[in-house]
Amino acid sequence: MPLDGKIKLKAEHLCKIYFSSKGDMDAVEDISLEVKENEFLVILGPGQCGKSVFLNMLCGLEEPTNGKIYRDGTEIHGTDEKISMVFQRMAIMPWKNSMQNVEMGPKYHGVNKNVRRQSGMRFLEMVGLKGFEGSYPRQLSGGMKQRVGIARAYNADAEILLMDEPFGALDAQTRYQMQDEILRIWEKDRRTILFVTNNIEEAIYLGDRIVLLSKRPAVVKEIYDLSHLPRPRDNVSRSFMEMRKEITDAMDLGLE
Amino acid sequence: MKKQNKYYHIMLGIFPVISIGCFIALWYFVAAYTDYRIPNLTQVWERFLVTLEKPIAKKSIFEHAGISLLRVVKALACSIILGIPLGLLMGWNKTFRGIVRPIFEAIRPIPPIAWIPLITMWFGIGELPKIIIIFLGTFVPIVVNSYTGVAMVPRLNTDAGKIFGADGRKLLTDIVLPTAFPSIFAGIRTAIGTGWVVMLAAEMISAKSGLGFLVIRGQDVSDYPLILLAMIFIGVIGAALSFIFNRIERWICPWMEK
Amino acid sequence: MEQMIRESKKREALGRMKKESIRNLCLGIVGIAGLLLLWDMVARFGIIPKNLIVSPWEVVKTLAIKMSDTKPEGSLLLAHITSSLIVALSGYALALLIGIPLGLLMGWYKAIDRLIGPVFEVLRPVPPIAWIPFTIIFLGIGLEAKAVIIFLSAFIPCLINSYSGIKLTNQVYVNVAATCGASRWETFCRVGIPSAMPMVFAGMRISLGNAWSTLVAAEMLAANKGLGYMILMGRTYGRVDLIMSGMVMIGILGIIFNAVFDRVERFVLRWRVTR
Repeated sequence: MPLDGKIKLKAEHLCKIYFSSKGDMDAVEDISLEVKENEFLVILGPGQCGKSVFLNMLCGLEEPTNGKIYRDGTEIHGTDEKISMVFQRMAIMPWKNSMQNVEMGPKYHGVNKNVRRQSGMRFLEMVGLKGFEGSYPRQLSGGMKQRVGIARAYNADAEILLMDEPFGALDAQTRYQMQDEILRIWEKDRRTILFVTNNIEEAIYLGDRIVLLSKRPAVVKEIYDLSHLPRPRDNVSRSFMEMRKEITDAMDLGLE
Repeated sequence: MKKQNKYYHIMLGIFPVISIGCFIALWYFVAAYTDYRIPNLTQVWERFLVTLEKPIAKKSIFEHAGISLLRVVKALACSIILGIPLGLLMGWNKTFRGIVRPIFEAIRPIPPIAWIPLITMWFGIGELPKIIIIFLGTFVPIVVNSYTGVAMVPRLNTDAGKIFGADGRKLLTDIVLPTAFPSIFAGIRTAIGTGWVVMLAAEMISAKSGLGFLVIRGQDVSDYPLILLAMIFIGVIGAALSFIFNRIERWICPWMEK
Repeated sequence: MEQMIRESKKREALGRMKKESIRNLCLGIVGIAGLLLLWDMVARFGIIPKNLIVSPWEVVKTLAIKMSDTKPEGSLLLAHITSSLIVALSGYALALLIGIPLGLLMGWYKAIDRLIGPVFEVLRPVPPIAWIPFTIIFLGIGLEAKAVIIFLSAFIPCLINSYSGIKLTNQVYVNVAATCGASRWETFCRVGIPSAMPMVFAGMRISLGNAWSTLVAAEMLAANKGLGYMILMGRTYGRVDLIMSGMVMIGILGIIFNAVFDRVERFVLRWRVTR
């Protein structure tokens, strides 16, 4: 088993309820989870199940109603500089060019301009955007924009990358390309990745482990270990298909 | 089908010409019909040539236009300098917004033009009262748009800022402000329009110079071509202002898609 | 989570929200009270000379007196208000009746756009109040003259918004209508107009504000009745109480207009998803 590394991130009984006098909304009921160092963990759940809320709690954008979060064994509150995020709707700032977007993290942490230019260049090159440093987002395609998003998350010097359906807004073709791309980047520069998706095939293609969530309010339904599937994975192989069937059967796909 | 399409396109091409032609013809007809109390284009042009030699109230028409323009520009500059910070503060600081917004909402429904009697009573008939009145008109849209621009910044943008370590001032200057830029610019655009109209009203009601004064002077001495000439100046300069502003906007915010 | 914890968390969260809204209310009251107090102080202690400002209480008093006193300018307050309302609303109604259909047609049919658009573009940059001398020549200073000016000022935003509103109609809806066999005219009525409605209403709101503020200008330049006339006469007679109560009245009516408009808009556009 390769999954015996140290525990990088840990969620303990995380729960999020939006209270209101008109009626409460239970988004996340109770999720406890351990993420190992340098692991590619996929969180899979049906649409609107509360996976984004869970991710937002981990990175400190939402305050949990209950429960605790630990990074490297210490409890954390609010945003953490070792945790960064790739957003589903890109969140690339339209008035910044690629380089300026990528260097947001170091800039806010007061890193010297020359230093951050250099590291920004390195990560832009890594995601294959060499030569596009000066381009504005409106000049880039959807896939390129999300590459900027990935480079930005890497450049923030984070050890844990949260990805909230990062390829959800892309067309199918680009999506396949980007899946290979993210794996290539991850092999090259290993970090702990939490990847949220609602696409079963994408989950099996990418993950070391898959955490399957129920419909809202979210609880952990099942955890699948995929270390028996060798990488690069073949999405029409027998073992892949079997896994796919197993997870499809377990997932709550019924209409509300 | 294709042939019909072609005719249709030719037709669309000549329609504007017909339209403007009819307009001018109608104008000449109406002018003749009203015994030239509405002057026609020729008379306006002749009146313009006369103004080149004979000033009105000791100033040439270009000087009058310059005076009007200067008043609006001064008022606009003041409201940009004061209005944007006020709007930003209202959008950014909850306590400040809680106190100031109701005051603002209470004063706002009074149109700037309705301030003219009071302001002229307070400040007399010099340049200052006119600029204050125009300022009242330009200030409001700039504050409102700066405020809504900041208050309506998409959560996604601030989230991204926070994740990458921006807080407080950095979040405001590096994320919130640029996001609010288009809205602030729209506010300034509205302000230019309002300022131009309020200027006209203020000059028509109490002034001894400016394009609005020329309109009233024309009315007082039954010099109808002068009224129309002043109106044409007002229209042309107003249109030019908004054109220039569009250029400036595109120059300052090159990332904005049009 | 256990029921106990949940309930205590809920109490906490709702308490926070309630505290927030109470705080906002208090701040608002502080703001308005501060404004009134400042105004009163400035008037009472002569920071601005007494003949140039009156206190809020005197404004109320003047308004009450004007209910039954026609001095000095010759009409009761109610007569001024009615006159202003009739002028403003008739000009505004005319602008809606002509501006909206014209804007919608221009946005939908290119030929109409090309015929009317150029003339509109030529006339648009001239502010409506600049036409006042000509309306005086032909229509005097009565209702029609001012209504025409207000019509012009309210007409422009109505037309522009209806025009751009219908231009923004989602092509998908148009295609759906076409595949269901609707004619161009039917599509215009059933798809174009409804989808332009939010923009049309935005234009109507701008028009309302324009109409009201142009009214004041028109009444100052050509009238013998109305709130704008009243404040201008206040200036002529040096009666600052008259000016300030007139301004307050204009402001209050403006607020009422907006509130009524909000109601109507929310009713007509109730299908729209509110966020």
